[in-house]
Amino acid sequence: MPELKKSDLVKNWLLGYSSETCYNYERLQALGNANAFIPIIRALYPKEKYAEEIQKYMVFFNTEPSYIGTVIHGITAAMEEKRANGEDITAEEIISVRSALMGPLAGVGDVVSQSIVYPILAGICIQLALAGNFAGPILFEIIYKVIMLTLGYNMYMMGYRQGKTAIINFLQSGKLNRILEMVSIVGLMVVGNMTVNNVKFSIPIEWTFTNELGVVKFNLQTGVFDALLPGMLPLGIVLGVWALLRKRVQPLTIVGLMFLVGIVYVAVSALLGVYA
Amino acid sequence: MVLQAILVALVTTCCTWWFSHTITRTWLYPIWAGFLVGIMMGKPLEGMMIAAAINLPYVGFITAGGSMPGNPMFAGPVGTALALVSGMDINAATTIGVVLGSVAVLSWNAYMSINSIWVHAADKYAAQGNLKMVRVCNYVPSFFVSLVLNGIPAFLIVMLGESFGEWLKTFPQWIMDAFSVIGGIMPALGIGMLLNYLGKRKILPFFFAGFFLTQFLNLSTMAVTVFGVIIAIIMYNYNSKSTEKVGV
Repeated sequence: MPELKKSDLVKNWLLGYSSETCYNYERLQALGNANAFIPIIRALYPKEKYAEEIQKYMVFFNTEPSYIGTVIHGITAAMEEKRANGEDITAEEIISVRSALMGPLAGVGDVVSQSIVYPILAGICIQLALAGNFAGPILFEIIYKVIMLTLGYNMYMMGYRQGKTAIINFLQSGKLNRILEMVSIVGLMVVGNMTVNNVKFSIPIEWTFTNELGVVKFNLQTGVFDALLPGMLPLGIVLGVWALLRKRVQPLTIVGLMFLVGIVYVAVSALLGVYA
Repeated sequence: MVLQAILVALVTTCCTWWFSHTITRTWLYPIWAGFLVGIMMGKPLEGMMIAAAINLPYVGFITAGGSMPGNPMFAGPVGTALALVSGMDINAATTIGVVLGSVAVLSWNAYMSINSIWVHAADKYAAQGNLKMVRVCNYVPSFFVSLVLNGIPAFLIVMLGESFGEWLKTFPQWIMDAFSVIGGIMPALGIGMLLNYLGKRKILPFFFAGFFLTQFLNLSTMAVTVFGVIIAIIMYNYNSKSTEKVGV
C-alpha cells in the first residue's frame, strides 16, 4: 500500500512554486508541473512506471500557481495516491480534472494576487519607500510572502484532504464570487486612493491682464480645474485610459500616447514662451 | 564597478528566471528587485526611493497566461542601477523605467519562445522515465536563456551607465520636462488596467469613494484600506442575510 507522507506533500507543494521556472508559450507550466510531481511519483510508483506516470504532467497547463492554484496540486496528489492503490483512476481522468480546474482557479488566483494583494501592498509600501522609510520594501516582501505561503499551503492541503468533488461544489456554490466581489470593493477603493497619490498632471498656464482694477493674473490650473474639482485632470486621464482599454487598445499603444502627451505639453509650453 | 554590474546582472537574470516563487515571486516588482540592487550598489536609501518611483507605473501590473504589457522585471533592477550610476532624479528614473520596461517586452517574448525547446528535450527524458533529467530541463537551460536576454544587457547598461548619465546631462530642459510629464501620467496605465479588471458596474462607485476620500479628506492609503474592509464586511453580511431570506 503506497502512501504519501506529509513530507511528500510539502515537497510537492513547494516544488509547485517552480512551475514557471521554464515558463514558455508552448505549454506554459507543463514542465514545471512535471518537476513538482517527481516526489509524488517516486513515493507511489515503482521505477518501471515512472515514464508512464510523469508524462501526464507534460501537457499544456496554466493556472495561478502561488496563492490559490496550489489546490489543484493537492487534488491531484490525492488522485495519484488512490490510483497507485489500485482504484480505477485513469491518467486521462487526472489530466481532465486538472485542465477543468486550471481556468476558474487562475481567474480567482489572479484577482487575489494581482489585483488585490499586490496593488494594496504596493500602494502603501511605495509611499513609505518614497518617503525614505525602509519599512516600505521590507514590509512588502514579508507581508506578500506570508499571505502567499499561508494561502498556498492551506489551499494545497484543502485540495488534498477534500478532493475534487468538494472543490468543484464550492466553485459552483457562488460563495466564492461573493467573497471576490467584496475583496474587489477594497481593491477599488485603494485604486481610487492610488489615483490621487500617484497620477500627477497639471496645466499651470497663466495669463496676465491689465484692466481698471490693475494687474490681474489668471491661472488655468488653480483658477479653473482646482476650483471646479480638485484632481479632475488625473481622474480624467485614468478614466480615459480605462476607456481605451475597454476598446481593446493595447497597453503599449497607450504608453505611446502618453509620450505624445508629454511632447505636446512641452510644445505648448514652448509656444507660450516658457523656454524663451 | 565590475562586481556590482555582475551582481545586478544576476538579480536581473533571476527577476525573469523564476527558480522558485517562494523567493522570486516578489522579484517581479521593482520596489523589491530595485531595493536589492540598491543594497548591492551600496546605496540602499537612494536605490529604494528610485525603485519605488520605477514601480509606480506598474502598480496595476497584471500578467495572464504569460502575456505582459510591459517588463517591470527588467525595468526594476536595471532602471534602478542606471539611475544610481548616472545620478538621475526620481522623475527621470520613472520614465527611464517605463522606456526600459517597454523595450524589454521583446526580451520577455523571446524568453517565453525559446524555452519551448527545453520542454521538447524534457519530453524525451520523461518517455525514458528519467526523472532527474526532467528536473534538470526545468531548472538549468532557462537560467542561461535569461542570462543572455536579461543579465548581459543589464551588465552592459550598468557598465556604460556613467557615460549615459553624462550624455543625459547635455539634454535640453524641454526634453527633461517632457520626461517628467510622462512619468507623472504613466501610473494611470496601471490604474486603468486595474479598473478594467475590478470595475464591475455594480461596485464601480467604490473607486470614486476611494478617490474623493483621498482628494477631499486627505486620507492615507492605510485609512482608505481600513474603511474599504469595513464597508466590504458590512456589504457581505447584509448580502448574505438578504439572500438567506430569498432562499426561505
